[in-house]
Amino acid sequence: MTRRIDWWGLALLAPAFLLMFALFVVPAFSSVVGAFAGEGGPTLAHFRRAFGTYGGDIWFTLWMVVAAVLIIAALAVLIGGYLTLGGSRAAVAVLAWLYRWPLFVPMVCAAQMMRSFLARNGMLNNTLIASGLLTPAGAGSMLDWRGILITFVWKQLPFVTLITAGAMAALDRSLIEAARDLGASRMRVLFGIIVPLVRGPLLVASVLTFVTLMSVLSVPVMLTADSPTMITVDMAYRITTFGDYGTADALGVISYLLTMGAAWLYLRDAARQRAVFR
Amino acid sequence: MDRRSFVLAAAILAALLGPARADTTLNVATAGDQNMVDYINDYLGPRFEKAHPGVRVRAIGTGPGDAGSLAIEQKLSAEAKSGAPTWDIDVAVIHQRGAAQMVGESLLAKYRDQVDTSKLVSSPKADNALGTDVSGYVLPMFDSQVAIAYNPAVVKTPPRSYADLVAWAKQNPKQFGYNGIKGGMAGIGFVMGWVNAYAGIGPRLVKGPYEEADKSKIDAALTSLRDFNSNATLTPGNAGTLDALNRGEIAMGAVWADMFYTWQADGRLSPDLKLVLPSPGMPGQPMYYAIPQKAAQPQLARDFVAMATSPEVQAEGIVKRFNWYPGIDAQYVEPKLDKKAWDKLFVDITPQDLKQNAMPFPISPYFTTVLNEYERITAK
Repeated sequence: MTRRIDWWGLALLAPAFLLMFALFVVPAFSSVVGAFAGEGGPTLAHFRRAFGTYGGDIWFTLWMVVAAVLIIAALAVLIGGYLTLGGSRAAVAVLAWLYRWPLFVPMVCAAQMMRSFLARNGMLNNTLIASGLLTPAGAGSMLDWRGILITFVWKQLPFVTLITAGAMAALDRSLIEAARDLGASRMRVLFGIIVPLVRGPLLVASVLTFVTLMSVLSVPVMLTADSPTMITVDMAYRITTFGDYGTADALGVISYLLTMGAAWLYLRDAARQRAVFR
Repeated sequence: MDRRSFVLAAAILAALLGPARADTTLNVATAGDQNMVDYINDYLGPRFEKAHPGVRVRAIGTGPGDAGSLAIEQKLSAEAKSGAPTWDIDVAVIHQRGAAQMVGESLLAKYRDQVDTSKLVSSPKADNALGTDVSGYVLPMFDSQVAIAYNPAVVKTPPRSYADLVAWAKQNPKQFGYNGIKGGMAGIGFVMGWVNAYAGIGPRLVKGPYEEADKSKIDAALTSLRDFNSNATLTPGNAGTLDALNRGEIAMGAVWADMFYTWQADGRLSPDLKLVLPSPGMPGQPMYYAIPQKAAQPQLARDFVAMATSPEVQAEGIVKRFNWYPGIDAQYVEPKLDKKAWDKLFVDITPQDLKQNAMPFPISPYFTTVLNEYERITAK
């Protein structure tokens, strides 16, 4: 029997596909081409500048994003764990309501907020000084890498927690209850039973967070003028100040490669899990 | 046709024909922040439409900084290559680098002599944009200036020179702030002023010709800036410097004069803060009105620029509303302003200071060299 082509289905898919093709595939392809294009033919000059001038920034970006993802994953497990195992119903309800808030704050607004929150005479230090935990002389500005890290964690934590806690809630409660009945502590249940079972969703959320954070421009631009900075800032700077798309494209390709690394980790894990459950 | 469909058809026909009959559209594309678009939509546009019935002014914002001017250049360049008989932009408001590039690519009309207000212009920046001769192709819309803002409660004697500033910063570590080179032009202005003060290149920096041998002098100046930076605070952006001043985190910082006055007028900045323009100088830059080579409405475009550079509009719109320095010679603007508005702009930085210590930005090859070397040497 020959399979009939579902033209209606394809027609319905076409707008989404064309949009994806025109707005993502074509620019991505042209940026790869642009990264190697010189005036007299193919060149590696853009990559030489990217690694030469911005090598430190590439490491800084990777370090910043990996650190943020690890902290977020750890906190998401703890929050999700408390939501699943917590003893106080009231505390669980309050936490469940509270943790989602940053999800609805755009990245640029979070950055603007942190600008005055983390400054030397900002709200955080003023509160600490007023409560006697800090002396005015000891107050320093956190508008540097710490500001970027804090903003990233604050902004992306709810997303990872939402997915992780959702997966935890969907687990078979009898497993948890059996472990508790046999005398396992909450921590033991969390790390011995729950975390291994939600590893997949946690990894997906972490990879998506990695990709999101790799592309954030507003936070480093608005929080610090220090060096090193994130490569998104360098890309914007090369284009707006010099019209230098070559170096910006090269930095873009490097960031594609870093993101692909994260995606590969995820795919490898997904394939392994499929093999286990088959 | 029943009555209802007749009325409907007539309404549609009227809607289609109406605007086509009444309106000629003058497209004004402007680089810069939203305030530039607002200025055209809220102030220049209505004023021009009133004097020219049937003409509609449409403002198009292309984004802040040189990138905004570059967007206009790309649009005109594409239209030139396509061989279009007329182009979509009638008046372009652009920065110096954009103007230099567009004149080089023959994208602009040489219209200056056909506009009467050109006689009121005296600034050398009307003829020269970062080393490129743009004489005849542009009229300055306004001029702006980077300067040092300071808190008189902390800084008793403001620095009259870069050397004073260095000495002060040594005694007051982290109390001077600027926004590096990636967070806006105020920081870039401070760096260019530093190179002007310490590289010993002299007027060649702003007038050319570029000499490759100067690179080592620039490197030496930027190495000393790296030492200075260890005593300075790097602020996030032009606004970040003003915020830090306002919160008392720094006592001095490099800012745009117009932004400083506007924030003070809006109550976003302490009225006690003051400005100083140290020697041997800090850069400023104008924005220009230009008319593309094949503007669809060249005569209306010239009328628009003439109105926008008239003493009345320069006084009311440029000086009073935005605290910019006028694009035409100040002597024609002063009589149109009350003393208070005039004094506000020229009390901290006198016309004499401007004459002595206002410099243009360096010519393109030096500009690029300084920024690249800053990344290589100073930012490490």
